[in-house]
Amino acid sequence: MITLEHISKWVTTAGLRTFLLKDINLTIKEGEFVSIMGPSGSGKSTLLNVIGMLDDADEGKYDFMGNQVHSMKEKQRSQLYKQYIGFVFQAYHLIDELTVYENIETPLLYQDTKSTERKAMVGDMLDRFQMVGKKDLFPTQLSGGQQQLVGIARALISSPKLILADEPTGNLNSRQGEEIMELFKKLNEEDGVTIIQVTHSEKNAAYGNRIIHLLDGRIEHPR
Amino acid sequence: MFKNYLKIAWRNIFHHKAYAAINIVGLALGIAACLLILQYVNYELGFDRQHARKENIYRVIQDRYDNGKLSTQWAAGAYAVGSAFKEAFPEIDDYVRLNQAGSQVLRRGNDLIKLENPYFASSSFFKIFSFPLVKGDPATALKEPFTVALSETLAKKLFGSVDVLGKELKVTGDRIYKVTAVYKDMPSQSHMHFEALFSFASFVQLIGPDNNPDNAWNWDGCLTYLLLKPGTDPKKLEKKFMAVVTQKNGESLKQYNADVKYYLQPLTDIHLYSNRMLEAGANGDGKTTYLLMGIAFFVVLIAWINYINLATARAISRAKEVGIRKAVGSQRSQLIGQFLFESALLNAMAVALAFVIILAVVPLFNRLTGQSISIGQLGGGMFWLNFLLLYIAGSFISGIYPALVLSSFKPIVVLKGKLVHTTQGSYLRKGLVVLQFAASLFLLIGTLAVSKQIRYMKKQELGMNIDQTLVIKKPIVVTDSTFLNQLTSFKNSLEGQSGIQKASSSTSVPGEPVGWNAGGIRLLSQPENVAKQYRVIGVDYDYVDMFDLKVKAGRNFSRDFGEKKGVIFNESAANQIGFTKPEDAIGKDIFFWGDTLRIVGVVHNFHQQSLRDAFEPLILRLFPDVRGYISLKVHAADVKGSITKVEKEWNRFFPGNTFEYFFLDEHFNSQYKSDQQFGLVFGIFTTMAIFVACMGLFGLASFTTLQKTKEIGIRKVLGASVNSILKALYQEFAWLILVAFVIATPIAWFAINKWLEGYAFRMRPDTITFVLPLLVILLVALITVSYQTIKAALANPVHSLRTE
Ligand SMILES: Nc1ncnc2c1ncn2[C@@H]1O[C@H](COP(=O)(O)OP(=O)(O)O)[C@@H](O)[C@H]1O
Ligand SMILES: [Mg+2]
Repeated sequence: MITLEHISKWVTTAGLRTFLLKDINLTIKEGEFVSIMGPSGSGKSTLLNVIGMLDDADEGKYDFMGNQVHSMKEKQRSQLYKQYIGFVFQAYHLIDELTVYENIETPLLYQDTKSTERKAMVGDMLDRFQMVGKKDLFPTQLSGGQQQLVGIARALISSPKLILADEPTGNLNSRQGEEIMELFKKLNEEDGVTIIQVTHSEKNAAYGNRIIHLLDGRIEHPR
Repeated sequence: MFKNYLKIAWRNIFHHKAYAAINIVGLALGIAACLLILQYVNYELGFDRQHARKENIYRVIQDRYDNGKLSTQWAAGAYAVGSAFKEAFPEIDDYVRLNQAGSQVLRRGNDLIKLENPYFASSSFFKIFSFPLVKGDPATALKEPFTVALSETLAKKLFGSVDVLGKELKVTGDRIYKVTAVYKDMPSQSHMHFEALFSFASFVQLIGPDNNPDNAWNWDGCLTYLLLKPGTDPKKLEKKFMAVVTQKNGESLKQYNADVKYYLQPLTDIHLYSNRMLEAGANGDGKTTYLLMGIAFFVVLIAWINYINLATARAISRAKEVGIRKAVGSQRSQLIGQFLFESALLNAMAVALAFVIILAVVPLFNRLTGQSISIGQLGGGMFWLNFLLLYIAGSFISGIYPALVLSSFKPIVVLKGKLVHTTQGSYLRKGLVVLQFAASLFLLIGTLAVSKQIRYMKKQELGMNIDQTLVIKKPIVVTDSTFLNQLTSFKNSLEGQSGIQKASSSTSVPGEPVGWNAGGIRLLSQPENVAKQYRVIGVDYDYVDMFDLKVKAGRNFSRDFGEKKGVIFNESAANQIGFTKPEDAIGKDIFFWGDTLRIVGVVHNFHQQSLRDAFEPLILRLFPDVRGYISLKVHAADVKGSITKVEKEWNRFFPGNTFEYFFLDEHFNSQYKSDQQFGLVFGIFTTMAIFVACMGLFGLASFTTLQKTKEIGIRKVLGASVNSILKALYQEFAWLILVAFVIATPIAWFAINKWLEGYAFRMRPDTITFVLPLLVILLVALITVSYQTIKAALANPVHSLRTE
């Protein structure tokens, strides 16, 4: 599904190149549940953003389901990721001025889904996450765990093939964290959704079936 | 999708009420001001458009030159041009002649009705102009001598009906006119407003066969309008006029070393751009109209800038939303659409509010400015067009830049929670603030300059005394030949009354153009070809004394000398006739239309008219029993009593004549009415503009302070005083204002001087005119910014640090 070849990304300050990612080679197959680990500042988020096409690599080839992402225009890329990818963020990133219902609905608006269809899909999602009673609340009226559930619901609404989650449990207590992880596991096993998550916790990483260690922008290969 | 946009826009407005209020109220004020001004401007621009053939109607205007120098510019020129040009040029379809018939009294039984300014008009009048007739045939209406066309109102006033064709009217001098047409009252948007038109053929009969207007090339006072064949180029036609003039009148012009030029003035230009001698009525002022249009633009521009500044300043708080929307699949164009939609929504609220504001202030606006914008008029198509244009343009102009900025954010950058540093945006914001201040300063400087000029004109020495002067209009119903004696007796009887110090009669009084313009005047010793034109006032012995004119050389007229043929020159006239020293003029004889008159004195120049107008060469010609205005100097103590006494005498001497009077100082100052109104309009809209600009500044300061709260908190912990923190913040705005000042000053200087060109006597704009507005704006900005910053600076530092 995803093939990264010699992907590098850097910033240049005062003529000096600082690598954020260096010569990353990585293949992820459909149906995998991958955890990315590594110390703070090692480039995990950067890698995830490159995979999610929110960010560019400076060098290397990126193949996503047969599309040459590195040579695509921004518009084509957003066309691609809005179809296949759902994002879950550590800071939830819900729109404060929209209700739970409207937040979950937002991706569908950009996919020209019909209004009746939208209603049904959002309704299903609210059912699935047991949030029907909260659909008219605003994000600030929810707990962190609930907000993250809304975030995940929003990521899932357009039935993505890939979910990218950057420390999805970072702001949650361990019980809430476990719930999210169980949810991911279920999605992966029952619906076949590919998941790539960034995490600091060995325990969370263990939910996945593969772990990638990152250090200073490089992948550490097990010796 | 739109429902989603609407929801989020509405919630944003709702959750940031102050921000939304600043935007909506600011935009509404700007739009309301702009629409009000445009309504007035549209009115002014819409004159004389009702005529079906307006594109082909031109007025012949005339410039006369004496010895190569421009002497007079006429709206109503020589009588001969119409027939001569029509005969010479096939491009001319038809022409119409109009000339003043003088004030007339219509008599119906015992009732007398005074006509202020009726005209004679030749028979093609109703064919060329589209003034619809209620009764009568446009082709024949004014053909015959002693026929008259009446306005609907006058017909009803005279006969109580419009079915008056064939009825007879007795006019001053007992001449009988037959009514041949009734026309719909001339609309207010017309440069002509005639209550009655007598046929030009009557005028031809009245002046007798010796005076054929078709040959009158040196006799001015005739308005000539030409109807050109469609497709005729007026510029080309104009160039061909000279040949005809030279052929018909060249010899006489050469003899007097004079020259004359004719031009074609489009009918639709007359109201705004024509201010010549003997206009058909008072015209408007194109310069003022366009200046007002500029002000309208400035005010709304300031409001738009507010929106742009506030929206981009608030970008940070919208950045996260943009990032999320992009991450879930929004295209940039969709975000641009969303933000334009928001500006359209805010603008919609603003135009709705603007409409309410207009409805509320129209009566006040009219009263203050002397305009007559009616609510009904607001329903006009032009109003709604402007309304719609302002809405669409406003939504786009104010919305597009913020939309582009907001939609450009990269999701990873904003979602990482990094502050969006848009140096570019902040420069632009500064630039726009400078523009707002520059516009405000310009308007404020303009307001000061206008009021200063008005004050200057009113304070200036007039060179005469017009205080405590009551002026009575001349009686126009002459019952018998002893009228002249009666006038003198009337005057004498008044002089004896207590409370009346002086009395004098004259053909003109100060405060209005001198109606008598005489050409061909020269020293008896001079050849014919140096003769020039002068304004002439016929006066009695008491005129100079009455108005306290200062004799510079020679003496006043005197009964003791028994003279009947004297003239007094003003300095300009003495100069024009060839004397650099006024003393030299004394005792010289002049040639005045066949008469020989002696110059007995020269008076200092005095302001016959407002200080808009230059001193003109003026001759006071003695007519001991002159018929015209009667001026009375009354005691301040009992003005009312004096008026009663005078009226009693008037009714005794001139029964049947209405007693009409005015106070001369008021009459004189009424010349400044339009200037004062312009100043007032300028002032009102300047205040609005500054208010709107300050609202924007207030909003901007709030955001800047919000951003700086953290910084201020840190500095305060380090021991900085509130004062030094405030100082840093003021400095930024002070700098922007100074830059604005540097930009606004030269533009304002230029504009003021351009405006002052319309005034013969003008104040010199001084430093205060420019520096005072700067200080005012600095102070207002200081107060506006202070409110927010003091609040922030006094906030508990620990609290603001914690908000990180
Ligand atoms: N645009 C950027 N410019 C400069 N440095 C960056 C930029 N983005 C990330 N970095 C730096 O790159 C490193 C990797 O960042 P990140 O991928 O967020 O690490 P992680 O998610 O593993 O903590 C960090 O040191 C970060 O400061
Ligand atoms: Mg990270």
